[in-house]
Amino acid sequence: MARIRPQLERDALGLGLRVPHYGSLLEHWPEVGYFEIISENFLGDAAPPRRHLDLLRERYPIVLHGVGLNLLGHEPLSSAYLDRLCRLAEYVDAPFVSDHLCWTGAQGLSHHDLLPVPYVDDLIGVAAERAAFVQRQLGRPFGLENLSTYVEFETSTMPEWQFYSAVVEQAGCWFMLDVNNIYVSSQNHGFSAHSYLDAIDFSRVLQMHIAGHSRETDGTIIDTHDRAVADDVWRLYAEVWQKRGPFPTLLEWDERIPPLPEVLAELQKAVQVRA
Amino acid sequence: MSQAFPAWLEHFQDRFGRMLRTPLERANGSLRVADETYDETLTQLALASERLGSNARLALYNRQYWFRLFTLFQGAFPLTTRLLSHFTFNGYVSGFLTARPPRHWDSEAMLVGFDEFLQQALPAGTTPIEGQRASVDTLAVLEAARIDSAFHRVFRAPELDPFQPSREHAAHLLTSRLIASPASAVLEEHWPLCELRPQIVLEGGEAARALPPRLQAARHWLLLRPENRLALFPLEPREARLLRLLSDLSLQCALAQLEQECPAEERAGLPEATQRWLARSVALGIWVGLEPR
Repeated sequence: MARIRPQLERDALGLGLRVPHYGSLLEHWPEVGYFEIISENFLGDAAPPRRHLDLLRERYPIVLHGVGLNLLGHEPLSSAYLDRLCRLAEYVDAPFVSDHLCWTGAQGLSHHDLLPVPYVDDLIGVAAERAAFVQRQLGRPFGLENLSTYVEFETSTMPEWQFYSAVVEQAGCWFMLDVNNIYVSSQNHGFSAHSYLDAIDFSRVLQMHIAGHSRETDGTIIDTHDRAVADDVWRLYAEVWQKRGPFPTLLEWDERIPPLPEVLAELQKAVQVRA
Repeated sequence: MSQAFPAWLEHFQDRFGRMLRTPLERANGSLRVADETYDETLTQLALASERLGSNARLALYNRQYWFRLFTLFQGAFPLTTRLLSHFTFNGYVSGFLTARPPRHWDSEAMLVGFDEFLQQALPAGTTPIEGQRASVDTLAVLEAARIDSAFHRVFRAPELDPFQPSREHAAHLLTSRLIASPASAVLEEHWPLCELRPQIVLEGGEAARALPPRLQAARHWLLLRPENRLALFPLEPREARLLRLLSDLSLQCALAQLEQECPAEERAGLPEATQRWLARSVALGIWVGLEPR
């Protein structure tokens, strides 16, 4: 008999699905509100990722999070990429799909990194048109994530949150808000994380990401996803949850990944800080 | 879509992309960014912070680009990495990606061709290990790269149904070529590298690992992916040769070639052995179809 998969609740706690946890997940089937997969890891023809996904999608809601859409790349969006993305979203019946408000390649090259642009008016219209197109193609909510950045440009004419909000609003798409990224960028560039969060329309927040970061000796913060969430980020998360929650919350852990119980314990801290 | 991004974005992304791909300088066993070579227009566009100058802020992206890609290659080529040391290996990755920067959103695509690149790039005889006053047999490094490449390719291959010969196939079986599953590979090794690979993946470390002694005679393996794991099956040398011939030639041509290569004193037992090897290959699911000739 087909298993009835639970719905993604508005206050759900989710986990980024990572290879080192496959064995433990398939053995213990822990209580997790949903999983987020990195879209590109499942867009190819490789059989093992799909086999794992087949098992997980029966029991958990699965949302897609991409790193390769290249929304702000000057070249046209890849229709082949988008076609595969749509099929994957359909396959897992994703409640929503997200990617980043950034560029990842240009001149026919793919840089495999999430790269910043100057925040200026004349990018907003095209970015919004593209995001709206992606959402139409997907036939489901599409969210844009804010980046962690390490550089700003003198040609920017507005703060990041104004650029971000304008693209989301014009596109009619959604915020995939990363509170750790807001904290990282606020520290690197000297703006107020609270000002950023105050500018966000939380009725359009699909999900919030939390993750760990590291601090270089020169004080720069790097978005490493290689450790537990920092206390400052938990404080920011708690404040925004009290004022603007609920929203689904997802923990990302991508480097030096500890065993699953440790990651789940970190995720459960969200329940404590919300109280 | 009706709108296009303004022209300046293309120039900006071109400059930023070239900055990202600026190779890291190698000296005294460490890597440093050559941020003095960044495009001046770009560095003037980037704002300095209280802590860092504009070049140093851009350099974070430059360093991140290379280390992300080094890590990806190290994960796909663990044997090769450890025979050369991380530092020496990264130098070859840098050379490969400078000549062939990634073009596809799928990071797997950038790995293709690296083992062939090493054939051109490594010196004949022995390859120096940078910073360790040591060297490693170049042929062993190339063998390691071929094995790493096969392990990676087989694990990530698509799922295809195995070929099951039936009466319908009988009429043209001999004149057809068997199509090997992409989730299979025939490997030949002169050092015990196939067994070393899983150990190396678990043990970690960045320094060059000593190459085990060369084998008395070459060994052959069949690499398969049952379910979600990799498995090695030992092959007799002539069995390995048959599997390779079958991948390239029609069944009858492969059998004829194998017989021709077989020393006279072994020919009497060849038909029986060939039957056994063929049956085993079908049972293991090496073949996924027939290509008529």
